[in-house]
Amino acid sequence: MTTTIAERYDALIEPERVHGSLYTSPEIFADELEQIWYRTWVYVGHVSEIAQPNDYVRKTIGPQDVVMTRGADGEVHLLLNRCAHRGNLVCEADAGNSSSFRCPYHGWTYRNTGDLVGYPFPQGYGGRGKLDELGLGRVPRVAVYQGFVFGSFAPDGPSLAEHLGEAAGELDRLVRLSPQGEVEITAGFLKHRARANWKLLAENETDGYHPQFVHQSIFSVAESGIGALYGEKSTAVTRDLGGGHSENDLRPEFRRLAAPMGWFGTTEKKVPHYVAAMRERHGDAAEEILVEGAPHVMIFPNLFIAEIQLFTIQPLAADLTVQHVTAIGLKGAPEMNTRMLQQSIGSVGPAGLLLADDTEMYERNQAGVAELRPEWLDIRRGVGRESVDERGLTIGGATDETAMRGFWRHYKRLMTTDRVAAGTAAGTPR
Amino acid sequence: MPVEVVGNEFAQVAVSVDTDANSPRLRIEDLRSGRVRFLDALELETLVHLPEGKLQSLLDPSADRWREDRE
Repeated sequence: MTTTIAERYDALIEPERVHGSLYTSPEIFADELEQIWYRTWVYVGHVSEIAQPNDYVRKTIGPQDVVMTRGADGEVHLLLNRCAHRGNLVCEADAGNSSSFRCPYHGWTYRNTGDLVGYPFPQGYGGRGKLDELGLGRVPRVAVYQGFVFGSFAPDGPSLAEHLGEAAGELDRLVRLSPQGEVEITAGFLKHRARANWKLLAENETDGYHPQFVHQSIFSVAESGIGALYGEKSTAVTRDLGGGHSENDLRPEFRRLAAPMGWFGTTEKKVPHYVAAMRERHGDAAEEILVEGAPHVMIFPNLFIAEIQLFTIQPLAADLTVQHVTAIGLKGAPEMNTRMLQQSIGSVGPAGLLLADDTEMYERNQAGVAELRPEWLDIRRGVGRESVDERGLTIGGATDETAMRGFWRHYKRLMTTDRVAAGTAAGTPR
Repeated sequence: MPVEVVGNEFAQVAVSVDTDANSPRLRIEDLRSGRVRFLDALELETLVHLPEGKLQSLLDPSADRWREDRE
């Protein structure tokens, strides 16, 4: 049985092409939930979304409805939104502050750590305290890196540090742009629904081949220089960070231009307080940071940092995905945050152009891969000009499909090796 | 007597400082049931010092509210 499944993915994923059914098959999607979404580390939320004790926000891990809470002791918990009695949702609001959750169906009440507090009319159960083993479901492992909260349904396995690997450095790069060394996710989320497979989104996030075509209109309207970063003459690189993670590293271009704040399309005169705060914090190192800017990194399987925006990818079906988007805030940088929010509204807001452009492509892609012929999608771009950088990581040109090939290598490994023998990593037979 | 509403998806209460008695006291109204409770200064001070476990035990829905053995 296991061999058969492994052979199936071997036949569907080749180094330079992938089969179209990977994007359309409900069976493969169900398998991905077990092998990837309920097994590896998945990004859930940021600690700044639950800043105060007893704060909570509703989040997701794939189709699972997860409540991220901060207990009175400050610890972060990831709870499943399901009453242990009859399965009712215990939490309906997107966010709130409460030490306890009370199910509206029969009044069962839980602490925000998941423990059962009690249930009405306890004589029916032989008295109070008879159901202590029942509580809200918990995501077995919770870990935080640079304020980013990840959860894993697998009780054991690689640590978050092992999962992030080289991608951790990109989160380090992001937080150092804050004069206080922290980012804040407080702008609120927009949810964009795409009739497309989640992998089309993940692959596209670090596809440097498409921007000049798909985003031509917004680059033109905004008189943006971003398009040139993704050209044949660009010195930017696409890097396979390992573990399915990848980035468009634009730093070579920004270093060549050597303009502080050029990465943000502005000058230091426009954000003098921010630049001063950064120089005060970082000293001489500030010049490099202000020139190099923010990362453009896709952290497998669902976190995308696009310089000033954060995206999470939520798969719901083989052909249905929700992308949750927000503006990133830099703690201690109100001047920058106003601009970053304004730019985010223009690019990924309800009437924003950037995400609308991409979503149109995702849905056209999905419609196309459902066609019977040709069966394969080609990902060979740049194979002949890849190299290995000083860290031993594979890099390609700014427009090359190095990132996609890295994504699929990792995907194939997860789908073919160390398969869960029975049930799921979450321990719930389906 | 300014009234403020403290609410989340689980409960909605109106709170105000009532001055009708000989000293001020907190008036708390459960907006869903209409039930009102006054808390004097000593009771409020006690709440501040209540250990977390005791406050949590008060949240047990069978502790005082939905009880089969009452009346």
